[in-house]
Amino acid sequence: MTISRRHFISGIGSLTLLGSPLFNARAASMKKKNFVVIMLRGGMDGLTAIQPNDSKMAQVRPDILVKGVKKLTADFNIHPRLKAFYECWQEGKASVVHATSIPYTMRSHFDGQNLMQSGGHTPYTEKTGWLGRGIEVSALGGLAISLPMPLLLRGKNTLDNFFPTWMSLPNDGDLRVIESSYSKGSALAEVMNRVRSRPVSMMKRGGDNQAHELAVVAAQELRREDGPRVAVFDIGGFDTHAAQGGEDGAHGECLADFDKVLNALRNGLGNQFDQTLIVTLTEFGRKVEQNGGYGTEHGYGTAILMAGGLVKSSQIYADWPGLATKNLFERQDLNATIDARSVYCSAMSTCFDVDFKTMKDRAFFGDPLTDLSDRLFKI
Amino acid sequence: MKLDFFRKIGFGLAPDENVPSDPIAWAVRQVETPAKLTWPGHIPSEQELLDHRAEFVYQDRRILREKFKNNRNAYDDAKTQLRYKTGERYFPSLETVIRHHAAVKGKAPVFERLWHFWCNHFAISEKDMLDRWNTGGYQRETIRPNLCGSFTDLVKKVTVSWTMIHHLDNTESVGPNSKWGKNRRKKGKPATVNENHARELLELHTVSPAAGYTQQDVINLAYIMAGWENRWSKKREECNPVQFNDKKHEPGTHKVMGKGYKQRGISSETKLFDVVEDLCAHPCTRRFISWKLVRHFVTDEPTDAMIAPLIKAWEETDGDLPSVYKALIKVVYEHTGSEQKFLNPETWLLQCIRISGTNWPPSPEVMAYDFKSKPSQPARQPSIIMRELGHNLLAPSQPNGWPDTEAEWLSPELLIRRLAASSKFANDPKYSVFVDYHKVAEKNFDALDDVNYFLHKAKNVDFYSNPKRMGQALFSSKWMLKV
Repeated sequence: MTISRRHFISGIGSLTLLGSPLFNARAASMKKKNFVVIMLRGGMDGLTAIQPNDSKMAQVRPDILVKGVKKLTADFNIHPRLKAFYECWQEGKASVVHATSIPYTMRSHFDGQNLMQSGGHTPYTEKTGWLGRGIEVSALGGLAISLPMPLLLRGKNTLDNFFPTWMSLPNDGDLRVIESSYSKGSALAEVMNRVRSRPVSMMKRGGDNQAHELAVVAAQELRREDGPRVAVFDIGGFDTHAAQGGEDGAHGECLADFDKVLNALRNGLGNQFDQTLIVTLTEFGRKVEQNGGYGTEHGYGTAILMAGGLVKSSQIYADWPGLATKNLFERQDLNATIDARSVYCSAMSTCFDVDFKTMKDRAFFGDPLTDLSDRLFKI
Repeated sequence: MKLDFFRKIGFGLAPDENVPSDPIAWAVRQVETPAKLTWPGHIPSEQELLDHRAEFVYQDRRILREKFKNNRNAYDDAKTQLRYKTGERYFPSLETVIRHHAAVKGKAPVFERLWHFWCNHFAISEKDMLDRWNTGGYQRETIRPNLCGSFTDLVKKVTVSWTMIHHLDNTESVGPNSKWGKNRRKKGKPATVNENHARELLELHTVSPAAGYTQQDVINLAYIMAGWENRWSKKREECNPVQFNDKKHEPGTHKVMGKGYKQRGISSETKLFDVVEDLCAHPCTRRFISWKLVRHFVTDEPTDAMIAPLIKAWEETDGDLPSVYKALIKVVYEHTGSEQKFLNPETWLLQCIRISGTNWPPSPEVMAYDFKSKPSQPARQPSIIMRELGHNLLAPSQPNGWPDTEAEWLSPELLIRRLAASSKFANDPKYSVFVDYHKVAEKNFDALDDVNYFLHKAKNVDFYSNPKRMGQALFSSKWMLKV
């Protein structure tokens, strides 16, 4: 499921909320911190979202260079559709990691999206996700909101999920009979257990499941001291081979979808926004040069957008490789000089109060990642 | 006799259906030729739907945006009217109904299951309104009639279909050294191939990544495919038949997986078909498709032994699909009872409906539409229900289609939706009809004693013995969710 413009029309979005500190004495003794991941599916173009001041951009992207950008730093400008993000930036609550990517260079969406969620090395070999494993390390347990459970959130123990429907469930007696047909210990029985342990209020809700509405629900849940502390959003449509366009093109629309979710979270969280970290995740960036259809092809390096009071300051954090052809990956893509998983591992370490090394060993297979916590986050 | 087989390979047996005496012969008969669609209402043609799309696109882009450029609200209103006029909110539901009618009322459920499989294999993901006007027609006219010939012919038809070309951006692909590309570059504009379609033709439709093709193979295939486009015209924009445009085609010979392809005859048009033939004949293709078929019908984790008979049939007949299906049917029968598969929401729902004779899908009268106002709620119900079940048929989010394993489908939230739908279909008088569930069980379940005991329990949950509860419970039971 994705939350894209298309999905606004069809009325389906997807959101996952997860983790209740009620079940966790350690977490309960600390100030609650929220962690939100927004998956941008299709390959988000970091060069469109956060545009470098480089004359090469106009050369190789004559038709899709974004006009009306706003200045972030001497070297980078921001896409005008990222309004809420820019406001956060001005308040010191948004930052960017640029020229970064998960270590995947083969340009397949499906393999890439599998890896961005599993955090592994070979597509389809890991059955759990880095966030699911990170949550297990921190023993948060709890609740999720979504239709299918994204791979990102899968751990050894299947987590609960929640996504309101307008249809009515059978009553409790009927549920008990139905349950009696599920073999003990089977996956079906496990899932049914979780369904039956829910409060009645969670069984049903009217209305559409539109993106902004889901973001409002997420914010309501996250702001509760005893509520979940992890949420996952899914936004699609970033695969802009054609009509990527400038300010009003397809990529701009997708960034606006992201921005709308960010805005709803910021408004809904109130003070809790200061105890929140929102990060984006995508499978790869896009080629530097535009193609013949006013779009871009699958590339490599991209940007991570981060917002919330837990970011250290408004900064573009990058080891910028430049856009000279010799510095490009395979002479065509922005190179990734920071392993995006270092950022995610540092983020989980910060939000879940687990030391970086433990998080790296348990959630990212002990891979050689760099602890960026003190450079990126308020710790 | 294994009764579960009728659900493992089809949708189960309806109340008025007899148990076939030779199940394998019964199934094989259905896959020799494409079955006719059974929907008694109007079935729009691909062309008719493309015309609706053309009207929408032209009116919206050329007329309304110009006419109301300074009045956003007036534009929105006019566009809503245009949506009604062109059936934008109507066709996805109509396509669902056409598909469901064939599955629950038709005489060839095995063929219908295969059709669903292939629609998902050659999936059109949610993009650019394709689900509103194109995906359904493409599935009925491009995929369906070609399911009982050779795999190669099927791939050829799909690859140059209007919908797939649009879906995977091949119109945007320009050979940098083509006439068109050179002109563009003279003007200082970039002209390059779009790799999207080439990549999916390799990765999803034919050989799969197991074949070990490289990025250069993808680019070279994109060169070969450059020029296949949705022809553009002023009045219909991109809504014209697909054509091969030599002016956009990258000239020369290009290698894909070690073999060079060059023009034969007067046009480069045939180059693409030469590659497709080789891709379809590749061992990785028959392995990949055989594995996918067995995974869909038998188990999430097919063994080599399970897929071997399909591969063998494929080799012996050069990818004659009915021969592969026959091998599949035997494998399914052989593993009925020993292997189980968690069904996707649609297959599960259609099974519940077919075996119980539930009143679904809606009638042509309910589905009638005036193309003037918003389609009625009952007429939109079919697509709404599929969306609620998490299986919005015409709009998977990616070109790899809907997932096919239990891990992807079994979540608390999706289970809740099936329980809720069970309750709706079994209890709402709009849908439910009187049916003796013990009789239903007798011809559809091998675990008859267990099922009967369960039905009895469901009927007498409390003081008020209620036979309707049997349907609700049966639909949600493990025997229906998995087979």
